[in-house]
Amino acid sequence: MNKIMYLEFERCIGCRACQAACRECGDHDAKERNYVEYVDFTESRQTFPMLCMQCKDPACARVCPANAIQITEEGVVLSAMEEKCIGCRNCTFGCPFGIPKFDFETNKMYKCDMCYDRTRHDIAPMCASVCPSDAIRFIDFDEMQQLRRKRTQMNLVEGKKPQEGNKWDYVPEFFGVYTDSQS
Amino acid sequence: MSQFLVKEGVKNQIRKGEKLVTTHCCYCGMQCGMHIRVDEKTNKVMGVEPRYDWVLTKGKMCPKGVTAYQTIDHPDRIKRPLIKKNGKFVESSWEEALDLIERKYKEIQGTYGKDALAVYGGVSMTNEKCYLVGKYARVGLGTRYIDYNGRYCMSSAAGGFNKTLGIDRGSSLPWTELEHSDCFFMAGSNTAECHPTSIQWFWKAKDKGAKLIVADPRETATARVADVHLDLLPGTDSALANGIMHLLIKHDYVDHEYVQERCNNFEELKEMTAKFTPEYTSKITGVAAEKIIKAAHIFGKSPRSVVMFARGAEQQTAGVDNVSLYTSMALLRGQIGKFASGVATFTGQGNGQGGREHGQKADLLPGYRKLTDPKAVEYISGVWGIQPEEMPQPGVSAYEMFHLMEAKTIRGLHVICSNPVVSSPNINYVQEQLENLDFLVVNDFFLSETAELADVVLPATTWAEDEGTTTNTEGRIIHIRKVVDPIGESKPDWEIMSLIAERLGKGQHFQYNEPREIFDELRLASKGGKADYYGVTYEKIDEQDGVFWPAPSLDHPGTPSMFKERFATEDGKANLAVCDYRGPAEVQSKQYPLWLTTGRVVFHYLSGNQTRRVDFLKEQCPEPFVEMHPELASQYQIENGERVKLSTPRGDMIAPVKITKAIRKDTMFVPYHWGKKLAVNQLTSPALDPISRMPEFKVCAVKLEKLTK
Ligand code: SF4
Ligand code: SF4
Ligand code: SF4
Repeated sequence: MNKIMYLEFERCIGCRACQAACRECGDHDAKERNYVEYVDFTESRQTFPMLCMQCKDPACARVCPANAIQITEEGVVLSAMEEKCIGCRNCTFGCPFGIPKFDFETNKMYKCDMCYDRTRHDIAPMCASVCPSDAIRFIDFDEMQQLRRKRTQMNLVEGKKPQEGNKWDYVPEFFGVYTDSQS
Repeated sequence: MSQFLVKEGVKNQIRKGEKLVTTHCCYCGMQCGMHIRVDEKTNKVMGVEPRYDWVLTKGKMCPKGVTAYQTIDHPDRIKRPLIKKNGKFVESSWEEALDLIERKYKEIQGTYGKDALAVYGGVSMTNEKCYLVGKYARVGLGTRYIDYNGRYCMSSAAGGFNKTLGIDRGSSLPWTELEHSDCFFMAGSNTAECHPTSIQWFWKAKDKGAKLIVADPRETATARVADVHLDLLPGTDSALANGIMHLLIKHDYVDHEYVQERCNNFEELKEMTAKFTPEYTSKITGVAAEKIIKAAHIFGKSPRSVVMFARGAEQQTAGVDNVSLYTSMALLRGQIGKFASGVATFTGQGNGQGGREHGQKADLLPGYRKLTDPKAVEYISGVWGIQPEEMPQPGVSAYEMFHLMEAKTIRGLHVICSNPVVSSPNINYVQEQLENLDFLVVNDFFLSETAELADVVLPATTWAEDEGTTTNTEGRIIHIRKVVDPIGESKPDWEIMSLIAERLGKGQHFQYNEPREIFDELRLASKGGKADYYGVTYEKIDEQDGVFWPAPSLDHPGTPSMFKERFATEDGKANLAVCDYRGPAEVQSKQYPLWLTTGRVVFHYLSGNQTRRVDFLKEQCPEPFVEMHPELASQYQIENGERVKLSTPRGDMIAPVKITKAIRKDTMFVPYHWGKKLAVNQLTSPALDPISRMPEFKVCAVKLEKLTK
């Protein structure tokens, strides 16, 4: 598997299908693990989705005193292990993206596992599957590269080129999540 | 890994002990493809799985679609007939309920005549059912009074299309072509929230450089990504369209050859639009002249453009004018009947397209035939096995039926697949009329606000407990599969209608064992009509990913693209619209100084009877709200989240405020998915379009009040 979760925030229409769909995944206990927020509703309706970045060196796992957060061989950062999690909630503070959630009833952390049951068989996660706007995509490395080149291509079509001081306007707004093992 | 394959090359998660039933969503006109997960042993519905290979939606769904399966085996389902005794519902047998209905129907019709009984249908059900509602009313009950909730939804689009193009097919092109378009002009549609999965096609085009122009009083999620957002005053679409056409003519963006060959009325249109200069248009619409000019140039220069609209432009007293004028914009540019260009409306209800073709409308017979046409009456009478003299006369539109209830012309009503006491305008009046009926029967699977008023509630099935077809927003006929057997003692609407017809001695006209037989009759009934389904079969639908009507013969593949050579008018030419701006029925006054407009949120569908019962959707949007601009809020000293009172001469409501700059300063927006005290339709205006009889939901003058602490 050499797939990438590709986020394009600008495309998000705030429908929250990704959240509804997250609840539908096999081991998710009907609880969503991602979130969608308004950037600033007073100003505009722009929303953005966020899900686990499946970090290489995950802050959540690093701050976990009980070693309860496991990383699969494919690099997917899992929910806390039932028997190990001591309910300290360090992970919820540690994650820079606010991903780990806490279930106060079972005293246990739960989080996005990139729909492990799906993605390990190369089937798109629920959020990426349903997102009507392709704000969340589950794509091949090559497809990702092509999307990266798109902005340059569009600028050429429109006859624009970066000037000193506005180069950052030409960088696509996106976030990538990598998993890079074989299956 | 064959357990993952639903079909060659398409991988899905299929869990052990489960099967996937391939079908479509029950809600909006996108009719997104989906699989429903069913436990093979218990036959219980387990969840949903994306249908990646459905040609139009590619596995994508909005949150309503994702959670739709939760309505099937829902604890609120009505599982047995309910009869109201001493003001309370009591469960009964079908036998007892049918006995009562038979007695009451005979009593009412015996005393006051056949027409004292009316039928109020809906289009959130299959073609088979929609077709049968018309036949049930006219043959089963023999009444002229039948109309349906599509009157509030699609009738202005229908009126406008018939007038300009001679036929009412929601889209002149298949939407899979949209990615090749260069420009979309979208009026009164917040497609990102109301038809979310359509967005993928606009992005595909936008990614290649296509331009998007959106006309909407709010900067919706759709308008947010537009190249030009025309933030017009509610109710001023006809001025805007005339203004754009003024500029198309002025800057010579008109496709003269096309207009010459294929359109009537160009000179008249030119004359009418002459006064709609950007300044004049700006004054009426409240949109800055520069924006109108920019939009006209973008639209005018685009080689392939699609003009699209929805309820924002249609639910007005000038709804038909607006549709005709917007359609004329596409005609002036010579776009209709060509690749990746044309005109389309967004169908609000799942079968809003199909449901309006098969004779649920007060004046229409199946195949889009006119009830006033003796030949049509003769043909359909033949199909139905009745004498042409027995065919009832045309009736009146949905809202006008309530006037006839007030006048006691209509004394009994059968509501099928609708919740008019939430979805009508001016519902305090509507409620009163329903309460005063002698007898009200409602088919539903949840106890809607309308069902609460009924004497008898008959438990219908959800979409997943019956087979059939619907026609999506493109005009593509698709296959809805049966997922599970009816829950409890519920029955599909077609069976309920057949049982009642039987009791009234009309059983011989309603001998159906399964929906397929009804579809075959529908095919015959539509044969030779405008919406010709004769060449459509369930098998063909499965084989070719749906069939676009018209498909007049069995070897006909269907018609994805319309109007390639001629229009469906008598002379084959399109009629350009020559309509002046008339303005909404209500004007602002000292007492009601602001504008109110209504619409949907992504989490709810129509009157909310289904979606308000689904946990996720309820959590996301539990109650209506009043959206307003911070400048307006500050004038009234209102803070975000504060509850305020809105009133019109017809009613008032209290709801919390959401403050955002993404709306005009003089307009407030309230979604309409709730009933009773939470219903914005207590306030909305029942003024009707003179042609389509569509109420003006989108515009009324309103008073805003801060509540004293
Ligand atoms: S499904 Fe896609 S568009 Fe909808 S809220 Fe999630 S990320 Fe945004
Ligand atoms: S990848 Fe799966 S678990 Fe993670 S947010 Fe998306 S749906 Fe939820
Ligand atoms: S409501 Fe419409 S857009 Fe949403 S899933 Fe159903 S058919 Fe698709």
